[in-house]
Order: sequence, then structure tokens, then C-alpha cells
Amino acid sequence: MTAFVVDLLLMLLDLLRCVLRAAAQTVVRPRLKRVDGELVLITGAGGALGRLFALEFAREGARLVLWDCDRAANERTAALARETGVAVHAYTVDLSRRRDVYRAAERVRADAGDVTVLVNNAGVVAGRRLLDCPDELLERTLLVNCHALFWMTKAFLPPMKVTNHGHIVTIASALGLFSTACVADYCASKFGAVGFHESLTHQLHAENLNGIKTTLVCPYIVDTGMFAGCEIRKELRGLIPPLDPLYTVKQSMKAILGEQRMICIPRLMYIPLLTRALLPWDANVATYRFMGGDTCMMPFIKNAGDESGQRPNPLTAFR
Amino acid sequence: MSSATRDLSPWFKKKNAMNFILETLQVLGLVLWYSLETLVRLFVPTKRKNVSGEVVLITGSGGGIGRLMALEFADLGAVLVLWDINQEGLKETARQVKERGGPRVHCYLCDCSDKAEVYSVADQVKREVGDVTILVNNAGIVTGKKFMDAPDTLIEKTMEVNTMAHFWTYKAFLPAMIANNHGHLVSIASSAGLIGVNGLADYCGSKFAAVGFAESISLELLATGKDGIKTTIVCPYFINTGMFDGCQTKWPRMLPILDPHYVAKKIIGAVLTDQVFLLMPKSMYLIAGLKNILPTKQGVLLGHYLGAFNVMDHFRGHTKKVQ
Repeated sequence: MTAFVVDLLLMLLDLLRCVLRAAAQTVVRPRLKRVDGELVLITGAGGALGRLFALEFAREGARLVLWDCDRAANERTAALARETGVAVHAYTVDLSRRRDVYRAAERVRADAGDVTVLVNNAGVVAGRRLLDCPDELLERTLLVNCHALFWMTKAFLPPMKVTNHGHIVTIASALGLFSTACVADYCASKFGAVGFHESLTHQLHAENLNGIKTTLVCPYIVDTGMFAGCEIRKELRGLIPPLDPLYTVKQSMKAILGEQRMICIPRLMYIPLLTRALLPWDANVATYRFMGGDTCMMPFIKNAGDESGQRPNPLTAFR
Repeated sequence: MSSATRDLSPWFKKKNAMNFILETLQVLGLVLWYSLETLVRLFVPTKRKNVSGEVVLITGSGGGIGRLMALEFADLGAVLVLWDINQEGLKETARQVKERGGPRVHCYLCDCSDKAEVYSVADQVKREVGDVTILVNNAGIVTGKKFMDAPDTLIEKTMEVNTMAHFWTYKAFLPAMIANNHGHLVSIASSAGLIGVNGLADYCGSKFAAVGFAESISLELLATGKDGIKTTIVCPYFINTGMFDGCQTKWPRMLPILDPHYVAKKIIGAVLTDQVFLLMPKSMYLIAGLKNILPTKQGVLLGHYLGAFNVMDHFRGHTKKVQ
């Protein structure tokens, strides 16, 4: 019993110390680390966010490894990044295939060396409701958004462990913290990404690998075309518009370079995260309905599949 | 545009603004109401629904809490459809159900990691038994190895059984529930589906995904007016069934390794009262809540305090290999 009380008191003291430090950090901006010379791998580099991440890291002087399944888009990102003068390696990789991931990782190691900053940014969505969705599309969402994180970690973590130096960034989503209707595959995959990232972070901490940082990025819907049509209640659209991609990436960079463990973009997203954990289900559903959350994805689902069954490619829609 | 319409326009704007304010007040009132209701429910027992005659399908019912839930449902007069990968386990569960005088019980061998098998056995069930009205996705596996050391095929299987199987069973059985606006979807996830745990990276991924999936479908059913289909998401701490044998808990009073009979009874209770989230033990509500409030560093402190970083240190798992 004494051990319990002592442990409890020690923890509360530690807690107080952390809270004070966190409070101080809201006023005093954290120092942003330098990543020039680091080897940064970005998945989904051909997409809207991926390209912006590549350019941001290029500006910081990092060497880049760009992965995407769309060769042309990836090459365009590479060309833009090379204009800043940094070394860029581009590879066409299908993240939904485990063996592709490992093969590409081997090539990266041979061509460029050990990756020190891993940005898991690639993401897809089926764009159909569960009962209307072909199984292959459901599987693809899970494979790219969730399983790929497993293989990337297995491929790129070991060298980071040897030097106790590295940074793993997971671009999840606010929909990995709370769910919404019509995108069950996406929610499942993003929840999985969040859970895996959290567990991995604890694992690194338990192994005393404090030189390996992790950052979990949970943005609200970003205006890249991926969720085109999604809209919440009219009166709140001004308050919570789809995020500007550049703003999203800039905020993410601040978190990554400031070695922040987690960031919700915009900060308002912390609220549904908290209410999901604290309020009863019915209360959450009431606020969710009020916000228009229950119907927000319906226009997106309609757009995503027209009569011919052809889906507009969210990547080309942006470009 | 007639002058009459132009004159009314500011009135419409004011009306919309009034509506918005009223709706905001209404939702705040509802939040307060539901919170109070939950508080009251802690003390006043809720009416339990009758499941006699319902067709209950339980995956992974060849042992563990799957078996115990089958017995509980049998006692309540439900028709049982039992799925498991283990023939012996299935037979034993069926025997125990019949011994208790349970009504019809149907056993099917099914590997939940195999999508084609799930669909074909589901078709068989629909032909031979009828529409499933209570779906209990209980089958679950854990590699038990440290993530970096676990073979990729085992990791894939974990995702297949713990997450993907839920997709396929929902696809198979949800349409009939929707047609009748009647049903209950039970997802046996884990508290590792709410909180990341050291040593269980892939398991956490799979359980978080199962929770997110069940929640998303639940919201979709509400959005489409299917309020006759209920959802229950179960997030227990470690249960003493052998699946997590060897795991240790730091403060047994606060976070005990759960007794399977207790767990099964609580799950049935949640199903009968249409409870959406069931966390066990009760302290898990506080822990899960705190984990989300506290910034990461403090969450880590809490983890240390609860011994969360060391739970898997002495993991042994099922001493009798099921697969």
C-alpha cells in the first residue's frame, strides 16, 4: 500500500513539473531543429501535401527520397525540389504491396544511405459506403494507410535504432481520432495508423531510444480534392473550412522541427478528440449531428462515383 | 425580384440566425441531458431488452469469452451460430450449450482471416439458419512477439482477423439488418484499441481500426435513420483466458486482469441495454479519458505509473497452440 501511495505522489509531482513546462512552452516557442543533411523520405510525394512537404524539407537543406505510385507526379515534385539545389532520389512504389516496399527500401539504402526522417504521408480513400464498395478498394485503403506503416517501420527503423537518431512522422487524420459516416474504410485505417504510431512511440520510449522522435499529425479535411464535396453545416463552414494545404504543411513542419509528439490541425480538432473521450456517446452524437457531421461526407460520396463508375483521380483533380 | 421578396430577405436572415442560436442552445442542452442521464444510469439499472429468438452469431466461440457469451445468450433463449477455426473448441461449446438446455445451436468451422471463407460460410448460415440479428465479432489473435521481430505474415493475419473480418461479416449480415431496421453489432475490441501499448504495435493498430470502423458504421446507420440497429464496442483490459498469459499488471486493485465470466456478463448486459461503449474495468473510463486530456509527456507518465510499458514483458500466450 505504501509503495502505491509513494508512487502516486511522485507521479503527481512529475505531472506538475510537466504541466508547468508545457505552459511555459506555449509562451516561449520551442527551438526548431535543423535537418540539413538529413535524409528525408516522403511517401505520396506526388500528391498535394507530399509535394509541399518535399519543398519545405528541401528549403531546410535536407536530402530527399520521394516515393509515389504515380511516376509522373513524383517526377514533377522531384524536378521542383531539385531547383532548390538539394539531392533528390525519386522512386515509383506501390505501398499496398509489402514486397514492393522492401525492394524499394533496399534500393534507397544502396543509392542514398540510411533514411533519418520518415514522413508517412501517402493516403487513399475508397470513396464509397461500405455496402457499395468493392472489397478490393476497402482492402487498398487499409493496405496503404495502415499496413504500409508496418512495413515502412520494419524497413527504416533498424538503422535509426543503431545510431539512436531519427524521426518518424505519421500523417494520420482527425478521422483517426474520431469517426464519421460514409468513410468507414478511411476511419478504420486512420484509427489503425494512430494506434500503431502511439504504440510504436511507447515502444521506442521503453527501449530508451530517446534519439528517435515521433510526430503524429492529425489534420482536419485538407482542400486537396481528396475529399472534394465534403461539407459540414453551413453556419460553421466559415469557422472550420477545409484546410489550405500549405497551411497544413507549414503547421506540420513546425511540429516536426519542434519535435512535438502530436499536432491537431486546426487546434479546434482537439475538442472532438476530448469530447469523444469524456462525454457519453449520445451527447457526442447530438453535437456531431448539430455540426452536420453525419451528412458531411454524402456529397463527397456522390461525387466520388458517377454513373459510369469511374472515380476522378484525387491526385489529378488537384493538379 | 418583387419588392415583397426583397423586403423579406433580412427577415429570413434573422430567422436563420435565430434558428442557429436555438439549435446551438438545444444541442448544449442535449449534451447536458445525456451526461446527466449517464450519471443516473450508474445508479438506476436500465431496462434490458429481450433477445429470445434472436439469431446470435459469435466468431471465435470455440473458447475464451466467445464460449462464455454463447452460454449467456443461450440462457436468454437466443439461437446460436458459432464460428471458430478450432473444431474441438466448437464441439465443446456446443456441448455445453446443449447441456444447459439452450435452444438451437449451429456450428461452423471458419477461418476469419480468409475473406472467401467468411463469405461462403455466411451464405451457408443465411441458407440454413436465416438472418443473423446479433453479430458478435469476437475472434481475435495476437502475435505476442515484439513488432520488429514478428513475421510479416503473422502481422498481416492479425489485421485480417482483428479488423478485416469485421468488414466482411458486416457486408454479409448488415443488409438484412438494414432491410428490417433491426439488429445489433457487437465488436469485441480491446482497451488496446483506445490506448497504445508497448509491445503490441500491430495489435493496437488492428484494435484501433476495429473501434474506428464500428464507430463509423454506427454513425452511418444513425445518419441514414436506421436507429433499430444498435452498436456495442467492447474494450476490455487483459482477460484471463490464456490469450495474454504472462502479462503482468502493476496495480491489480485498479487494473486487474479480468475474470472471463465477469467480462461475458458485462458484455451481455451492455448488449441488452444498448450501451455503445463498454470499457472494463471501470477505471479504464478514467484512464482512457485522462490519456486523451493529458499532453503526450504526461500521458507517458501515466503509462509509467500504470506499468503500461511493461505489461508484455513476460508474455507467454496460449500455452496450447490453437493455430
